[in-house]
Amino acid sequence: MEKITFKVQRYDPDKDKKPHIQVFTIPFKHGMTVLDGLIYIKENVDNTLSFRSSCRMGICGSCGMLINNLPMLACHTPIEELKKDTITVKSLPNFPIVRDLVSDLSLLFAKHKSIKPYIIAPDMAEIEKPTAEFLQAQGQLVEFVQFAYCVKCGLCMAACPTMATDKHFLGPQPLAQAYRYSADRRDSGAKERFRETDTPHGIWLCHLAGACSEACPKGVDPALAMQLLKRGIISDSLRLRKKPVPPSVAPPQAEKKPRVAVPDFTIKKPGAKS
Amino acid sequence: MEAASKQKVPLPNRLGIKGWAWAGRYKIERYLYTLHRLTGFGLLAYIALHLVANGSRLWGESGWESTMNFMSNPGFKVGEYLVMAAFIYHALNGGRLMLQHLGFTLGKPKPPIYPYVDSMRRRRPLVWVLLALIMALAIYVLVEFVISGD
Amino acid sequence: MRESHLKILQYITAIGIFFLVGLHLIISHLSSGEPTDWTSVAQRASSASWLAAYILILIFGIYHGLHGVRGLILEFSLPDRAVKVLNYSIVFVGIAVFGYAIYIPVHAF
Repeated sequence: MEKITFKVQRYDPDKDKKPHIQVFTIPFKHGMTVLDGLIYIKENVDNTLSFRSSCRMGICGSCGMLINNLPMLACHTPIEELKKDTITVKSLPNFPIVRDLVSDLSLLFAKHKSIKPYIIAPDMAEIEKPTAEFLQAQGQLVEFVQFAYCVKCGLCMAACPTMATDKHFLGPQPLAQAYRYSADRRDSGAKERFRETDTPHGIWLCHLAGACSEACPKGVDPALAMQLLKRGIISDSLRLRKKPVPPSVAPPQAEKKPRVAVPDFTIKKPGAKS
Repeated sequence: MEAASKQKVPLPNRLGIKGWAWAGRYKIERYLYTLHRLTGFGLLAYIALHLVANGSRLWGESGWESTMNFMSNPGFKVGEYLVMAAFIYHALNGGRLMLQHLGFTLGKPKPPIYPYVDSMRRRRPLVWVLLALIMALAIYVLVEFVISGD
Repeated sequence: MRESHLKILQYITAIGIFFLVGLHLIISHLSSGEPTDWTSVAQRASSASWLAAYILILIFGIYHGLHGVRGLILEFSLPDRAVKVLNYSIVFVGIAVFGYAIYIPVHAF
């Protein structure tokens, strides 16, 4: 049976002063992902190994790790694609280590919250108690929907060179989300978000190294979002930004076309004749 | 209460300056970012030296000539060429950064369809053209001003 | 001043430096004689257009360089109070360097 070697970062806060590497050699099967390897280690070799995982299908963002010196989702990384006999797995850089491969993501969530990641509409009563859906054309959706696919895995923050030194820098994920909401035609909170991001530790510490977009497992392209945010902020600074049109809601029920009658379903009741 | 007091603070794990300097397995744009910083430092150091050297004008022709004699050392000639190359790189890459910071040449957002291709990768041919232009100018300066001695 | 205003100035000074330094190098090297000869230096020193160009290059270059350095220093997780000290220090250094550097061509003019 084929074997694969895992060099896994271990850190027990009760015993260790700094992380160290532990080597495991496990059986390899075609189609195995890095997460499968870690689960095998935990179930069969060392049940003290700690890591986060949940959906195992690249949608929750829990299993972000540094795999062979690149931030990746462990569930989304087939071992064969790495083309190496040795897989080195460490926790995400630029995030504090809780234990083994588990990172402390609380700063990411706090920064994300600071950029107001929700629709701020002029008519907040409509947001709180909606009467109908907001109207949005397909072209308007395409302007921001790419950035809405973010799963908050933190890989972009781990890849960013500015995050390596500056703990106050907002980071690619919050800045990309600031653009996502500012570009949404249903939103009118762009100026508030520009105030939050046009700061000494805000958008201008992004120097387009592009590593965030490279690391993103969902194709969100945070680098593109950040440059478009810069364009928005500069237009706003120079007072060239077009005044956003307030969003409109769908017309009331009475003005819609009459509903087509739905044919009766033939649901047989027990004992009824066919 | 006892559990809270035993809770450990997570271990800091920032890469520090290594995160700026080491681009590792990331793509060309990460290396261009590091080089842009290095050339910026180099140009700043050159400006300081240039201002000090020009200050010798205040002592008239003799002061100026002795400074120029000191700077005709081959080490300074190599340094001057490196400054020229750094200026060419910093200026042209800076032009690319300016355009891209303003959202130009990166394309429009579009819904991600696997396999994902980000804007950096879509626009990579532009980066290769830019690097070719930088190399061509650096070689031209080397031949025209350094080797032929103009 | 907002950070975006400082960045806009960074872009403007970048374009200015590109053209002015480019012209400075091309004209210095294409004019007759060795550009570092005392006669060429003295000739440029007595020219009003060269003086104006030097002043502009100094203003643009000092702003662009120091703003870049400021950005770099800000990436070391400075708290807000230290950012204020940094801003004032950068302005002071800029004025001091400009004062020293402008004295040379003005004195020679």
